[in-house]
Amino acid sequence: MTGHGVVTPVGANVPSFWESLKSGTCGIGEIKSFPTDELYITIAGEVKDFEPREVLKSRQFHHADRYSQFAGAAAQEAVEQSGMAMPLAGDESYRAASIIGSGIGGLTTLESSYKALYKDNKRATHPLTLLKSIGSSAAAHVSIEYGIKGPCFGVVSACSTATHSIGLVYRMIRENLIDLGLAGASEASLAFGSTRAWQAMRVLSPDGIFPFSKDRNGTVLAEGGGVMMLEEYEHAKERGANILAEIVGYGTTSDAADMVNPSIEGATMAMQMALDDAKLSPSDVSYLNAHGTATAVNDINETRSIKRVFGDAAEDISISSTKSMHGHCLGGGGGIEASATIMAMQDNFAPPTIGLDTPDPECDLDYTPNKGRAREITYAMSNSFAFGGLNAVLIFGPDPS
Amino acid sequence: MDDTATKIIEILKKNMKEPSDDIGLETPLADLDIESLDLAVIVFDIEDTFGIEIPYNANEEVEDFATVGSVVDKVKSIIADTSSATA
Repeated sequence: MTGHGVVTPVGANVPSFWESLKSGTCGIGEIKSFPTDELYITIAGEVKDFEPREVLKSRQFHHADRYSQFAGAAAQEAVEQSGMAMPLAGDESYRAASIIGSGIGGLTTLESSYKALYKDNKRATHPLTLLKSIGSSAAAHVSIEYGIKGPCFGVVSACSTATHSIGLVYRMIRENLIDLGLAGASEASLAFGSTRAWQAMRVLSPDGIFPFSKDRNGTVLAEGGGVMMLEEYEHAKERGANILAEIVGYGTTSDAADMVNPSIEGATMAMQMALDDAKLSPSDVSYLNAHGTATAVNDINETRSIKRVFGDAAEDISISSTKSMHGHCLGGGGGIEASATIMAMQDNFAPPTIGLDTPDPECDLDYTPNKGRAREITYAMSNSFAFGGLNAVLIFGPDPS
Repeated sequence: MDDTATKIIEILKKNMKEPSDDIGLETPLADLDIESLDLAVIVFDIEDTFGIEIPYNANEEVEDFATVGSVVDKVKSIIADTSSATA
């Protein structure tokens, strides 16, 4: 891992994002991007201070959907940090991947087009409606930007999307299909219709996102994206890159049980697979970025799964749900949380779970309540679980040299 | 049993895996073997049928959803509030 980038409700680049997490800054607030008069869920984690025309140099992104713009900005930060000479040329361009997914793709483009068509009785939709909407447009835009001519597509697995994307590129490198890849996901689906749809599921909190708290009453939607530059080790070493971390383990399972109620077994097996892949024992992991959505069922299920995998060592892990600050960025969440995990290792600092004044007695691990904690972090895990029971887990370790 | 109660019981039955015929106002919702996603669908159906909005959150245990009768009472009170607000 030689570079990473994020766009989040608490910072539109890694340094400002990490500063916010360290200081326990909350990015949730009243929705400003669309009217909420007819909704009873009126809060979300919106990305502020994001001017695509200022952030993104290339014109192709200026006309893209917001979700692609987030991906473009995150990829740009990752590429710049990696120091990789891009756009790629010659044979190398075929040894590179752009795997950038989204839970749902260009939803706001679709919503506004349907409104124009069905409500405003417009005769036509904008000519770019289709290209902006498709869930592979972020991956395609990034491949065009950086001359990536190898595997290019979007992964789709709701809230596990980014983690699956990163895991997939890690495996592509390991299997010698590619030498490098940009991997992650982004989501910009905050709109009236989608909030209505979420509201109808009855899983959102009207008050805020309080993971692992006795007072938690649902999750809070957010938007954002996270993208990483992954390289084969010798490739990175040869060009003298600054290696920030190594992906040492990846585990992925499906509950095959229920669309909304997670199983302990599915989450447990995914974490265990990641540990086995990394050839680590439970006590090697000192920080865990939890999925921690603040729904009634997730937080208990995740706690029980962590205990099952880590046994006694579970007590010694600093765990946090950074969603308490940036909200639930859906498909983009795993990429943003992977960045938080990398920064926790770089800085030897476990970011907090904020809003955790009254712990749920059934969520009785060290969730780093309210204040972050300095501690040595050599190996760290990041969990993503999604509707449908789709689980993905990554473990990061230090530069192998 | 009045019209509101009859309609609500019909909605419950429609969304149950094995609808039973002896659902009364005293029946606890917990006895009806309704899964969480089904409950969201039931609430949606009730809202749609009566043209109201019910502030239900699946993350919380709500007294209003203890028995069939308490759901009926809740719906009636929302209908009354809604019609007085629009009157």
